[in-house]
Amino acid sequence: MGKLIVVACGAGINTSTIAEDSIRERMAQEGFADVEVKRILMADIEGYLTRSDLVMIVSMMKIFRTFDVPVIQGMPFLIGSQEEKNVLLEKIVNVVKSK
Amino acid sequence: MEILQNAVAWFLGLGSTVIVPIVLIILGLIFRVGFAKAVRGGVTTGVGLAGLFLVVNLIISALQPAVQALATNMGISKSYVDVNWADAGIAWGWPGIAGLIVSLLVVNILMVVLKLTKTLWTDVWSYWHGSALAGFVWALTGGNVVLGIVAGVLYLVLGSLMSDLTAKKYQEFNDMPGIGVPCGTTVQASLFAMPVVWLLDRVPGLKDWDASPEGIKKRFGLIGEPAILGLVLGFIIGIAAGYSVQQWLGLGMQVATMMVVLPRMVSIIAEGIVPITMSIVQYMRERFKGREIYVAVDCAVLLGHPAVMASSVILFPLCVLLAAVLPGVQMLPIASLAVIPFWAGAVVPYTKGNVIKTVIVLLLYSIPFMYFSTLTVDSHTAAFQMMGQYGEQISQGLKLASWDMGGDILGFFIQKLFGLFS
Repeated sequence: MGKLIVVACGAGINTSTIAEDSIRERMAQEGFADVEVKRILMADIEGYLTRSDLVMIVSMMKIFRTFDVPVIQGMPFLIGSQEEKNVLLEKIVNVVKSK
Repeated sequence: MEILQNAVAWFLGLGSTVIVPIVLIILGLIFRVGFAKAVRGGVTTGVGLAGLFLVVNLIISALQPAVQALATNMGISKSYVDVNWADAGIAWGWPGIAGLIVSLLVVNILMVVLKLTKTLWTDVWSYWHGSALAGFVWALTGGNVVLGIVAGVLYLVLGSLMSDLTAKKYQEFNDMPGIGVPCGTTVQASLFAMPVVWLLDRVPGLKDWDASPEGIKKRFGLIGEPAILGLVLGFIIGIAAGYSVQQWLGLGMQVATMMVVLPRMVSIIAEGIVPITMSIVQYMRERFKGREIYVAVDCAVLLGHPAVMASSVILFPLCVLLAAVLPGVQMLPIASLAVIPFWAGAVVPYTKGNVIKTVIVLLLYSIPFMYFSTLTVDSHTAAFQMMGQYGEQISQGLKLASWDMGGDILGFFIQKLFGLFS
């Protein structure tokens, strides 16, 4: 079964696109063919929480609730240095590998 | 000379969905993102633009007769069609877009070097606010690209100064050190909120009045979802217009489609632009390491707090009602309601997440947007027409308006200023 990473932001337009781009590139480098990276509106997240292939959420906003899957704060994708981005991508790779 | 003029006329005659991909591919090559990425980004942006214009066509054909029937039926005058984020189509499609991007990059870097601002404008997507305004000024001055660029850069420079004033508050409230949000109507909402919240805090009884965001979300949360909001609005407009059941059911679905699909099209445009501009963004970030810098991010990052959606679902119907009853306001907000959560995101840090205060601040804040979107309708409509869109309908009297960016407060005054040159 495939693995789904959702990248959630307020509008699903800009900030999530930036993160999605970086994550997708890294997944391709790792050779993870079965990983789907999808950017969504945070308001639409309910529909994804019930999906059994969901492995993690990357949030571009501050989160005020808890989820059953790991959540990563994606802000470094927007404002971080290359090293900070790499640390974050490493975390995401580890979560994907562990599932 | 004549050959050159003919060549330019031929190129402009291609229309924005062809010109913009070409311009972006060239920009991408200058920014050294690689050929494949540049082509993919450019073409994707063109696809997004074309899609956006298609959706606006749908909005016009569905809403124009409905809004007119409603106005006749209710004896009010609301004849403008709300296209809201279709303004992103003007922003990325008007002929000066490449000049605007490069000019702002240069001006912003200079300002940061000279310590005139702390906001490093790395979020190229958000230039669209200034670029849409630039497009209006371009239309207003009868096609003056240079004046358009100057107006757009002025708007964005003022945005970075406003971002300096608000950044600390956003950072603390959202727990995001180092960010700044210079986006158009959003950051202005924060400035507006400062004195209003100060006053509200001094009104006895109001000071501690609050509503639970979770409770509101449970009861009205469904309205916060764009499809449902559109459906309900379509039903209400159809019924008020005296439509048959069959007609208003259909209108509900059309408005729901618009609420969902319009932002999706805008997101396709972003999907094309973001990869092309990423390298320049990374370069700017590395260049100013070690200085206290607010890195510009999109206003979408401010939407996390539960009070944002709770305030928005209360504001949706209130704003429609207010626009319906205010005399002289010609546009019933429908697509424009989508901007309200972004305003709320900019205001909750100042109301400390208080839903009631956020609603009061934003209901007041929406009033100038209602009037300014009406007052700027001609330059707004002309910008679409000059880009070769909806010419036939416009010549038959169609008027297109929006809150974001047509109703923008700062943008309104900049348009007035540059109108002196026309």
